[in-house]
Amino acid sequence: MPKFTLDGKEISFEPGETVMQAAWREGIEIPHYCWHPGLSIAANCRMCLVQVESGRQMAMPQLAFDESKGEYVPSTKPKLQPACQLAAADEMVVSSTNDEVKAAQASVQEFLLLNHPVDCPICDQAGECKLQDYYYEHQGSLKRKLTEPVHKPKGVRFGPTIVYDAERCIMCTRCIRVCDEVAKDHVLDMRERGNKNEIILAPGRELDHKYTLMTEHVCPVGALTSSDFRFKARVWFLKSGEGVCTGCATGCNTHVDYDPRYGKVYRLRPRDNQDVNQFWMCDDGMMTYTRQATDRVLTATSGRGEDRLPLAEREAIAKAAEQLSSVDASKLAIVLSAQNTTEDNLALAKLGSALGAERLYLAALGGWEGDDILRSDDNNPNRAGASLAAGGAALKPVSELIADVQSGEVQGVLALGWASAEKLEELAPLVSLDAVVSLTSHVGALPAAAEVVIPIADIFEIEGSFINAQGMAQSFRGVLSAPADIEPGWQKIGELAKALGKDLGFTNLDGLRKGLSDAAEAAQ
Amino acid sequence: MEPADELLNDQASLELDADPMRLNMGPSHPAMHGTIRMVMDLDGENLVNLDVQPGYLHRGFEKSCERGTWAQVFPYADRLNYVSPMLNNVGWSLAVEKLLGIEVPERCQYYRVVLGELSRIADHFTCNGASAMELGAFTPFLWLLKVRDWVWDILERETGARMTHSFGRIGGMAAPPTPNFKDDVRQLIPELFKVVKETEIMLLRNRIFLDRMQGVGVLTKEQALSYGCTGPVARSTGIPYDVRKDHPYLVYDRFDFDVPIGEDGDNWDRFMVRLEEIRQSIRIIEQALEQMPDDGPVNVDDPRIVYPDKQDVYTTIEATIAHFKLVMEGLRVPKGEVYSFTEGGNGELGFHIVSDGSGTPYRVRVRPPCWYNLAAAREMLLGGMIADIIPTFGSVNMIGGECDR
Amino acid sequence: MSQAALDRLSAQFGERILETSDAFGEHEATFAAKDWVEAARFLKDDDDLQMDHFIDLTAIDYPERASARFDVTLMVRSSVNSQRIRLRTQVKDAEKLGTLSDIWLGANWAEREVFDMFGIEFQDHPDLRRILLYEEFIGHPLRKDYPIDKAQPLVPYREVTDITKLPPFGIEEGQPFARIDWEARLAGGDHQVSPAIGVQQGQRRTLSDSEAAQQIQARIDARMAAEAASPADTAEEDSGE
Repeated sequence: MPKFTLDGKEISFEPGETVMQAAWREGIEIPHYCWHPGLSIAANCRMCLVQVESGRQMAMPQLAFDESKGEYVPSTKPKLQPACQLAAADEMVVSSTNDEVKAAQASVQEFLLLNHPVDCPICDQAGECKLQDYYYEHQGSLKRKLTEPVHKPKGVRFGPTIVYDAERCIMCTRCIRVCDEVAKDHVLDMRERGNKNEIILAPGRELDHKYTLMTEHVCPVGALTSSDFRFKARVWFLKSGEGVCTGCATGCNTHVDYDPRYGKVYRLRPRDNQDVNQFWMCDDGMMTYTRQATDRVLTATSGRGEDRLPLAEREAIAKAAEQLSSVDASKLAIVLSAQNTTEDNLALAKLGSALGAERLYLAALGGWEGDDILRSDDNNPNRAGASLAAGGAALKPVSELIADVQSGEVQGVLALGWASAEKLEELAPLVSLDAVVSLTSHVGALPAAAEVVIPIADIFEIEGSFINAQGMAQSFRGVLSAPADIEPGWQKIGELAKALGKDLGFTNLDGLRKGLSDAAEAAQ
Repeated sequence: MEPADELLNDQASLELDADPMRLNMGPSHPAMHGTIRMVMDLDGENLVNLDVQPGYLHRGFEKSCERGTWAQVFPYADRLNYVSPMLNNVGWSLAVEKLLGIEVPERCQYYRVVLGELSRIADHFTCNGASAMELGAFTPFLWLLKVRDWVWDILERETGARMTHSFGRIGGMAAPPTPNFKDDVRQLIPELFKVVKETEIMLLRNRIFLDRMQGVGVLTKEQALSYGCTGPVARSTGIPYDVRKDHPYLVYDRFDFDVPIGEDGDNWDRFMVRLEEIRQSIRIIEQALEQMPDDGPVNVDDPRIVYPDKQDVYTTIEATIAHFKLVMEGLRVPKGEVYSFTEGGNGELGFHIVSDGSGTPYRVRVRPPCWYNLAAAREMLLGGMIADIIPTFGSVNMIGGECDR
Repeated sequence: MSQAALDRLSAQFGERILETSDAFGEHEATFAAKDWVEAARFLKDDDDLQMDHFIDLTAIDYPERASARFDVTLMVRSSVNSQRIRLRTQVKDAEKLGTLSDIWLGANWAEREVFDMFGIEFQDHPDLRRILLYEEFIGHPLRKDYPIDKAQPLVPYREVTDITKLPPFGIEEGQPFARIDWEARLAGGDHQVSPAIGVQQGQRRTLSDSEAAQQIQARIDARMAAEAASPADTAEEDSGE
């Protein structure tokens, strides 16, 4: 393996890698703005300059101040190379911490801050801003420029999701490259030169593709901000948890940023996963965090429409058990959900088989237009997981359930989840049945059609896993505690089973998951 | 002899079976400076056994420091020895500056010395005054408090507060000296000498005062060393240890001053050592005012350590960022461990700090001088009488804030 | 701090010193926990070192360090030759360390504080109990896993069998004024009133309602009645109560 030395540490690399990439893999960060591991190399910020100390030294002429003579005299300084562009060579010795490099970093930082507006108190990036971090580490001197900073447009609406502030922009072109390379839509570009540089939209266009929030994600400063997250929360109050996006079957990995003081999720950020989403997420996926607080079902109810009445927990379970037992097992429909975790689905499938109900259906959203970048055609995160939970049995869609109810073959429904492609009008036949029980976290068509509605916890509040379109099982933990002490779906199903007089064979998540590996084997 | 006297001479017939009486003194007691509980076993008036129980003013200083930034420790440090808060501020600044490896400009060093010595004077005034008052001499107490208030007036003009100033900063002080600083202090000095003289005249030939202070509360040199006593308590037993002389810090090596040493280790010696120290502190102040530069920076010139000027913070981005980082994350102190010690009002005030490289201290240990002095107080009190507790305990100058932290 | 002291220690203990350091001009030697007492005693007893002045003993918690959780440091000074040195050792959780309180008396309270704050126990310490915190305190606050805002349970007032006499004081203790048992008083009848209030209101009351006091009071009343009846007769009686 070829190796090079960075600050005395030997790093091995693949031929073709740059110094920056190799160091990144080892966990060493050379300060940078415009480089991103998932984008092409631009080398325009010049922050990652390093000195190559081995081999033939390149020098640049300069005028240096000679103290003894009291005047500027011609001299040379070593020519520094941008590490993001420098191809690693075997036996190369690189320094990113010697005096020359430190002076270069301080100078670059000073230039970047030369015309930067005093926006820290109102800028969303404060607390996660590279300018702040690198100023402290690499510059540490006060301003030498005494003239008015250059003024540029601020608060420019680029599109429905993004606001641009040209004064804060350091022209790293990460946003341009994201639109070009990830979203495959060249809508942003740079205009003018020198200190009049600005990012602009293609004429007649606005920033409206499906990955606009990625431009905000890669922006190292507060130039591009998300109109959704703007001014909502300060990042040092937010804690991060690891999650999986529920937008579609790709299952992009996320960081869930929440404020523990209020128990609220404020935003998602993509989590790096080379196998699934590399470094990116689509806009719809980024916005799925809103479901944590909107349209939640927080109390159990009985009755439909205007007859809807709240029920206490125990009463709800008892009533549901009573209604389900009044239906013959061969006429009981079990509806799994492609929006819920594999564990919740598994618990429901087990209850179904314990009751002897063999009619299995799958409630799922109807699909949307996917693309070949990240979005899958299936806008349900866990179709594969629901199938696995059913032990590989064929799952019929809800349209067939409606037909079966109309024909009288189904007289009772036990449904998990809120998502269905069908609207409430189409589910009218279910409304005529008495024994329709829904376990749900959100308001939806299926719960609206149900006689008894029992609340369960949402994705951000439970531990569980999804199986994505590639067949990868991705598990996650909850970040918040469920409101009003609502329990996870699998736990509620366990209680329902007890009320029905069945023992499903698990008391906790580990016990439930044991069945999962068995089911996986059975499916194969 | 009267028949009654004959009876009294026969000791055996007068021996009554008695158990020592257990008496609880404190924690809330007018003579217990701060809050200390003493549970004692008494044989009549004599102390047979004594358990000194501190901790009633424990506020979790060391744990609180681990929650904020390095600069947020200053308000806590003030409230350690709260009668001489400037000395604690200076001690903490020096400790962090030692870890950072920086030295403050000369003007700041003189400023710290003068303010520190003023605080020390205030501390000794309080201690001696309270000692005298508890023995019945109320007048010297009021005189000393009067002049202590004048010292506090100067400190208020300089720092904004009479007592807990929070005036020290890492890398300097919160503000430069006021223009009239030197004149104000110079005007006060004759008053200080005058009151010290008056106190001496009042107390030093008073029979009652002498009887209650001399030979009472004796601590031997060996005991003092073994207990870890420092400061006036140790010096009164004959140990010639003063951090300002033995390990000079700031600019103390440029001054000509003496360190009063006692011989007997009793209350009298402690009282006199403190009284004489006041004179020596005034001597230091006079020399410092002579030598102190009248202009020049007070803070180190590094925006990564010292908050930039507010004017700059509101108008330039660099100062805004520097301010943001210093306030939100705290100034970054390189990883390391250091024990920095100065002469506090009661002895060697040490700060043993551990940094993990971030803006939050990892561990802050205060070596409180009066903790060990109080441990030695048991030796001073045992075998004495209850009434001796008052002057002895007063002369130990146990400041609750420093002892219990 | 002094290099000479460190050299003398190295000469004596050689390999048993695990590490030395002189960062920031402070000389320090690290020993294993089993050598702790011996090294400390050597510092005091050796003729060259004579470190008789105790400065400080404290601990630092490194909960993520796999080898040993706590660092215990000792600082001492010699009053004879002004040398200073710091010793350090590493102690595992629940491991006991030898006490230094028979070498320097100041170590007694220092070790009590380390026990109180960290939970490190010292072998053969004469009086290892909490010093800064009260005995019923649960936990050791300076450990990193003790959250700063943990609430401690309320504890009942000590040594009182009648738990209804909750803090701060029972009816007859503490401040005499305003210590009125209002419930009893408003319910009417024979309520306890603090003695000083009774005196102010001109009532003669016993200092305690205990039986012994009542008996004494009865005897006093009897004698006073007897005196009032025949003053001359009782003058010479000396019953020596």
